[in-house]
Amino acid sequence: MKKTTILFVLITIVLSSCSTPKTVLKTVAYKGMYNEKPHSVLLMPPINRSTAVDAKEYFHSTLIVPLANAGFYVIPPFLSMEILKKESAYDAELFLNSSLTKFGEIFGADMVLFTIINKWDKTYGNVSVGVEYILKSTKTNEILYDRKGIINYNTSISSSGGGLVGALINVAATSINTAATKYVDVARVCNGYTLSDLPIGKYAPIDPKESEQFAGENNFNVSLNSKYGY
Amino acid sequence: MKKIIYFSISLFMLCSCTSQQKLYSWDKYQTTSYNYLKNSDEKSTQELIKTYQGIIAKQTGTRSVVPPGIYADYGFLLLQVNKTAEGKEMLLKEIALYPESKVFIDRILKKLEK
Repeated sequence: MKKTTILFVLITIVLSSCSTPKTVLKTVAYKGMYNEKPHSVLLMPPINRSTAVDAKEYFHSTLIVPLANAGFYVIPPFLSMEILKKESAYDAELFLNSSLTKFGEIFGADMVLFTIINKWDKTYGNVSVGVEYILKSTKTNEILYDRKGIINYNTSISSSGGGLVGALINVAATSINTAATKYVDVARVCNGYTLSDLPIGKYAPIDPKESEQFAGENNFNVSLNSKYGY
Repeated sequence: MKKIIYFSISLFMLCSCTSQQKLYSWDKYQTTSYNYLKNSDEKSTQELIKTYQGIIAKQTGTRSVVPPGIYADYGFLLLQVNKTAEGKEMLLKEIALYPESKVFIDRILKKLEK
């Protein structure tokens, strides 16, 4: 009896240390995705409603990674961006509430990702980002996935393992400046954190546990730093 | 004996918390693609080309294949720097590896023929 109790307590502690309480199953929260089983995704240029002009590019260049790593086919981002520009479809805001059928026809996309940057406020050692990700079906125009939140990112913790020397080498390796590298990392973490509960696409190995997994809170507020991996 | 069981159970559960190995590896993609997006100058173009070459040459992800979109975007960049034949070859590689890209890439290839 006593041993059973200890075991139970142990399991509870270990489990609760993994995550905050989540109550909705992924299969319920993202039902549309499980029904439609989309394979391919078109990344729309992020909609920037923040006051930081560069925020759009920070997000745009980092979005492919979490979606591809989740097992989806991501329509080539630079090539599709060029076509969107040529077709005067570069302003994603115009399509947020309209039919997406054309994007299915032209790009072969099963779904379209809208990224809305609501806030990008820098204070000393911290960036507070408000962001929302919406995946919509090009077949039904339904929302398949929607999460938004506030991410308070502590920029004073360096991501390069090698301290100052490591940081200098990193900068020397590319012509990008340190500030930009840091903010690209903020966007990377925002994408990675939010999209970590995406249902998996066809290139990811089947996870027998997926039907038991919970969706993240659909409206969240977290504090993260560059140590967050995804 | 029981202690060992408890220990292994908790160890197993802790392990399941950590992130799994990723499908693909990306070299310096996130910073070099940002820089290209922002500046589109000679230097940032060359750096992104180098990144694509790195991603294609070495994959440490679990799938051990080039990630989606990379061959095509690399090809697109080569077209920009007037390496037309090489660029087209990369676009065809994207279709070969990811047949779902055919709808879109064929459209681009057709435009290039004109």
